[in-house]
Amino acid sequence: MADRHLEQLLSILKSSGADAWEVTDTNELGWEFYFIRHRLDQHRTKAVDSFSVKVYKNLEEGKFLGSASAQIAPDASEEEMRRTVEGLCRDASYVRNPFYTLNKPAEAETAETARMDMEAVCGDFLRTMRSLPETETEDLNSYEIFVSEIRRRFLNSEGIDVTDVYPSSMVEAVINARKDGHEIELYRLFHSGTCGRETLTRELAEALAYGRDRLAASPTPALEKADVVFSTDPAKELYLYFIDRLHTSMVYRGMSDWKTGDTVAPDNLTVRAVKTLPNSSGNTAWDAEGAPIRDLTLIDCGKAVSFWGGRQFSQYLGLESSFEANNFAVSGGTESAEDLRAGDFLEVVEFSDFQADPITGDIAGEIRLAYLHQGGSVTPVSGGSVSGNIRELLDGFRFSKETRQYDSLLIPAVTRLQGVTVTGAGNE
Amino acid sequence: MKAPFSSYLSGIAPGLKGLISLLRQRYDYVSVLSIDTVGFQVAISQRAKSVTRNTLCTERGTVVRVYRGGLYAESAFTGFDPAEVEKTCSAICAELDKQLSLLRDCGTEPYETGVLPDEPLEIFAEMETGRMPEDEDISALVDRLTAISDRGMAQGKEQGLNLIDFNVRASSTHVSKLFLTEHRDLRQSYVYSESMAAALVAGEDRTDFAYTSGSERFGPELFDTMEDRIPEVLRIAKDLVSAERVVPGEYEIITSPEVTGLIAHEAFGHGVEMDMFVKGRALGAEYIDKRVGSDLVTMHEGALCAEDTSSYAFDDEGTPAGDVTEIDRGILRTGICDALSAIRLGVKPTGNGKRQSFSHKVYTRMTNTIFDSGDSTLEEMIASVKKGYLLEGMQSGMEDPKHWGIQCILDRGYEIIDGKLTGRVVSPLVMTGYVPDLLGSVSMLSGDRKTDGAGYCGKGHKEWVKTAQGGPYLKAKARLG
Repeated sequence: MADRHLEQLLSILKSSGADAWEVTDTNELGWEFYFIRHRLDQHRTKAVDSFSVKVYKNLEEGKFLGSASAQIAPDASEEEMRRTVEGLCRDASYVRNPFYTLNKPAEAETAETARMDMEAVCGDFLRTMRSLPETETEDLNSYEIFVSEIRRRFLNSEGIDVTDVYPSSMVEAVINARKDGHEIELYRLFHSGTCGRETLTRELAEALAYGRDRLAASPTPALEKADVVFSTDPAKELYLYFIDRLHTSMVYRGMSDWKTGDTVAPDNLTVRAVKTLPNSSGNTAWDAEGAPIRDLTLIDCGKAVSFWGGRQFSQYLGLESSFEANNFAVSGGTESAEDLRAGDFLEVVEFSDFQADPITGDIAGEIRLAYLHQGGSVTPVSGGSVSGNIRELLDGFRFSKETRQYDSLLIPAVTRLQGVTVTGAGNE
Repeated sequence: MKAPFSSYLSGIAPGLKGLISLLRQRYDYVSVLSIDTVGFQVAISQRAKSVTRNTLCTERGTVVRVYRGGLYAESAFTGFDPAEVEKTCSAICAELDKQLSLLRDCGTEPYETGVLPDEPLEIFAEMETGRMPEDEDISALVDRLTAISDRGMAQGKEQGLNLIDFNVRASSTHVSKLFLTEHRDLRQSYVYSESMAAALVAGEDRTDFAYTSGSERFGPELFDTMEDRIPEVLRIAKDLVSAERVVPGEYEIITSPEVTGLIAHEAFGHGVEMDMFVKGRALGAEYIDKRVGSDLVTMHEGALCAEDTSSYAFDDEGTPAGDVTEIDRGILRTGICDALSAIRLGVKPTGNGKRQSFSHKVYTRMTNTIFDSGDSTLEEMIASVKKGYLLEGMQSGMEDPKHWGIQCILDRGYEIIDGKLTGRVVSPLVMTGYVPDLLGSVSMLSGDRKTDGAGYCGKGHKEWVKTAQGGPYLKAKARLG
């Protein structure tokens, strides 16, 4: 938003009768490229400003704090802005939440704010995608490249005025493999800051190899209970379960019954919120409410030690300096990936859509490609499903000391769960 | 009343037409889509309340599509100034030229595509609604939803449930869209509303979330009857806390309308999105005029075949809304198609070109995807089951158009043995299978049908748009785990 519009809005807010306010001015500049095979389907640019405002009203002499929010278009007239703010002040007076205070100015080491070289980053992506190890039988069906530079300025009535500028990129790739007239596909959605050429190449080369194996896959047999190994992107869901259940909104709203000091995870598992990870799309200095982001241990050797989250619910839980974290690192594994792949097990590398429910702990997903290790032989299998509950699987939850990064999550490279239900594909 | 078209869009329309004229000097085809969508969401629980004038679809912005030399390009932006048309035109051209220069440096070849037709067409559609979200009395709505949450908690306790919270959410969205080309002027305005009521309930060793949702292509009057949902939410909560795990295997199933809709959506919704045909990503392309289900299976898709959250007058490429019979008595007849894919495939577009927002690309997307009804009653269907489950409540689904696998994660299964419900409940359930096997096993359909458009649909794992789906109760066979 133009500075003139921002000044107009701030002036309106200050005279509106709001007891407090927050404004976020986000500007996204993006380039996008869409390919069918390696031919250009279309190209796109975007320059999108979004401008959000939240007003607060003290109710019943400070016993309650009401709030209401809205987006204001960057070309809104002064009159339109005034009408919106007046409406928000009215709306806020109907919302009786327990009182809390907004963040106050704090010091933080700010992230790099140099403008991204859009053409250079896009060039890296375009050239990387053309240089993958495709063959006559395993190749890219189609792919989409999204590169953005995001500038986010946050201001509030307590005097915070902070700005983050950060890159955010995404590649969607569909991989084909074919043999004897039969063709299969695999799907990848890869997030990062800018183009991590080596990581992107490694991930997509791995998927091309999985495509070859899926062609040879047999129907998954009904194993009833089995050890299941997770070593690809769906493994994130297992660790997000622990992270989500420590979020202050989940705890305050009763969706998580975890308390600090509780044993909530395997006894060697440690989870930290971390300010930065290499080339993560979440490397910002400030959260969306102007709180400085820092490193914070959430789970230490299986015990919950800290919650994390936004201002309102954190303060309700008695936390004065919490924040919305973007990056997380999981560590503590003592076994090697090789040790975790010993004996009989099913290593699922491709799901249709693997999910872990943070409220119930239920996990489920249809198998698109797995490797069945039985009696020393390895068979690629497909179909059927994996299901269970993380709470019930904690005793047999093992994870490697080697790690693997998926954008804003650094997690063990290999995770093995004992006693997971495996439904067969139905053709055995 | 009629939902009035955005005065903002009416105000910038002459400027946008000027922009099209300027861009046409350089490009062989130019279209503009401008969107001005407003709304609200109120969420109430015992522990937290919120009011926002945002829904997931509120936005204001413009996207320009241009064509030259066999290649399409787009520029999306906010803050259009009718007094700065030349400057806007120059900025669009300069940025797209920079991209082309980079693409040439990288040796990129275009996927050559013909030019879109631009026959003259005018549409001005202000659709009926009871009330407008902009006029809703938020204070009264907060009071009403608070009372529902309080009563839900009280009635839950009376029934012996250990309720942690009772959540209620109401949102209403007023969409205005303006689509212009050199020869087309299309304007539409409509309102849709969505509601959710849910109980967070603690069982002996787990916590569950029992929810119901509702949607209509009308205004906030949808919320006037939300209190009626309390008994159903509490019934679901009671069922979930007593639920057991299913023994994995193949069963006879009866799907409730929302589960029937999920099957429609995941089985032959995504499977016949014809942009997937262009990429060779859908098995459906090889099965046109072939059998994919039993004689009882007929399925429709289109913005005109129901009134729900995705029922519009024209799509995001300016194609009038349609109603396509995808499956006719078990035979796959056709798919759904956006305008660019239609040119590439040599077929007519069906009015299914949709964007997540003005700043996102168009893909072929679903609108209302619905199985036709049959002539059985639910009682007859239950009586016909030897051993199986009545399935209710959807959590999520995932398509696999290339191989016709299907994954549906469902909330509850009610056991049926020898034609009778036993009272035993299983949860959660993963329903998997091969789509033609599943649809081929359809043996009974109930005479009624419902749609639900409260959720969002992704393409792959992104591009979230409003869709609705539904149908009657349906009897089939499937694997549950």
